[in-house]
Amino acid sequence: MTVTESPSEPLGQAAAEASPRWSWLRQRAGLAIKVLSVLAFLALWTASTELGWVSPIFLPSPAAIARQADKLMHAGDLWEAIIASSRRVFLGYAIAAAVAVPLGIVMGVWWPAKAVMDPFISLLRPLPSITWIPLSILWLGIGEGQKTMIVFMGTWIYILLYTVESTKRVDPLLIRAARNLGASDLAIMREVILPGALPGIISGLKVTLAISWSCVISAEMVAAQTGLGALIWFAKDWGNLALVLVGMAGISLTVLVADAVAERIEWLLLPWERHRRGAT
Amino acid sequence: MLPVLSADRVTKEFVVGGRQRLVAVRDLSLAVHEGEFVCVVGASGCGKSTLLNIFAGFIRPSSGRALLHGEPILGIEPRCGVVFQSYALFPWKTVRGNVEFGLKMQGVPAAERRRRAEQFIGLVKLSGFEDRYPGELSGGMQQRVSLARILAANPEVLLMDEPFGALDAMTRQILQEELLRIHEHSRKTTLFITHNIDEALILADRIVVMSARPGRVKAELCNTLPRPRHIDIQLSPDYARLKSTVWSHVEQELLRQMEAAVSLA
Repeated sequence: MTVTESPSEPLGQAAAEASPRWSWLRQRAGLAIKVLSVLAFLALWTASTELGWVSPIFLPSPAAIARQADKLMHAGDLWEAIIASSRRVFLGYAIAAAVAVPLGIVMGVWWPAKAVMDPFISLLRPLPSITWIPLSILWLGIGEGQKTMIVFMGTWIYILLYTVESTKRVDPLLIRAARNLGASDLAIMREVILPGALPGIISGLKVTLAISWSCVISAEMVAAQTGLGALIWFAKDWGNLALVLVGMAGISLTVLVADAVAERIEWLLLPWERHRRGAT
Repeated sequence: MLPVLSADRVTKEFVVGGRQRLVAVRDLSLAVHEGEFVCVVGASGCGKSTLLNIFAGFIRPSSGRALLHGEPILGIEPRCGVVFQSYALFPWKTVRGNVEFGLKMQGVPAAERRRRAEQFIGLVKLSGFEDRYPGELSGGMQQRVSLARILAANPEVLLMDEPFGALDAMTRQILQEELLRIHEHSRKTTLFITHNIDEALILADRIVVMSARPGRVKAELCNTLPRPRHIDIQLSPDYARLKSTVWSHVEQELLRQMEAAVSLA
């Protein structure tokens, strides 16, 4: 028989979820546990420093770090450092993306371009960005250009590799379907390959964003007067461990904000993926 | 009268695993006339999808010719619109964007595009879903979008490659009924590939049974069941008679295929 019991067509989303109330409860419980876990950790930390289990020379108490952060914020130094580092990251990362994304797309659709670039990528990829510090200082001095170059050298290859991979992975059936509907080469590029590769390119850019921060911090630790990396390095020289930790916390929080901004941009650029991400 | 679509002694060989040759289709000849709905049935692996891909221009025959209005098909042919089994919708385009795609490629102005897309979205009963993305729709709804997309582009011939093969039995039946309604209204020349004999009997004017690999035409049967047709046609005695005829042809080929497999082993 052809007629059998079959479920009516669900709308795809939400069908898998058992009950909305249960998932709401779980989300709330998850949040509460996260907050509690942080508070418990801070309490343990405070106890171990205040009760003298750990010497403040090795680990300052959270309260000391907070006082240090407060002082630094009032003086404006923390913001200055964050802005200096962010500017370098943004510039180096933007140039890397502007170079690597178009190049990666060309390499993804046209194999000779890939063949030209492949050997250089194989040689350059294993190099950590800090190995470029001597050359970059020789070429560009120790100014902004040099920090930007370190960020660029540390990120462009990753952006390139993600872009090539996502471009090549666009479903050939969709290209076939588009041609069957009368699309020209140019239209295939604009209407199929670019949007098809976009989610992969954006996730590559997101991964690379975190890498770009580690590049700038290491560059600043070696040769810089400003920025979070320099702040940490000076604090170490002054023996101010609380300031080191403030600098580290500053990096974490800044990268978290940058990630949140990146998530938001991704959400705006990929409306067709929203329903899939809705649950997370 | 010159057929709209024809295959003239088409052979297609594939090279598999480096050097072994696989003959998917051999010396196949077939003609589809204006307004005709032809179903090609055959066991899996008999080369029926190869045939469709040759007509679409996705692949070229090793020898012989595929012809559209008597002229050889040399590249991907937008006049032969394909409906794929896996829908092949653009995930980044809304239902409207997908349906408008062919019109956009033809250079139809935006307002006209929108109007025509709405008309075809209505035809496949998806009004109200214009701004949804394919990922938000069920398989049956996605295949409706794909049907609307190809109908809006208005190709001369419809090539359908097991379009309902991935759907559950109930959804498939509903879509068969809608395709019947749409075809009886538009009378578009259609070549429909399936391995489902019921589907062929419900939809086709003519049923072409393909032989086991290498595929060729084993039998051609006129489907005399009256139109306009309805799914209920399955209950008529004529239907049962025709079905047993088609099945006996298919069965012979299946047995042959199995024997071949045994002798190889």
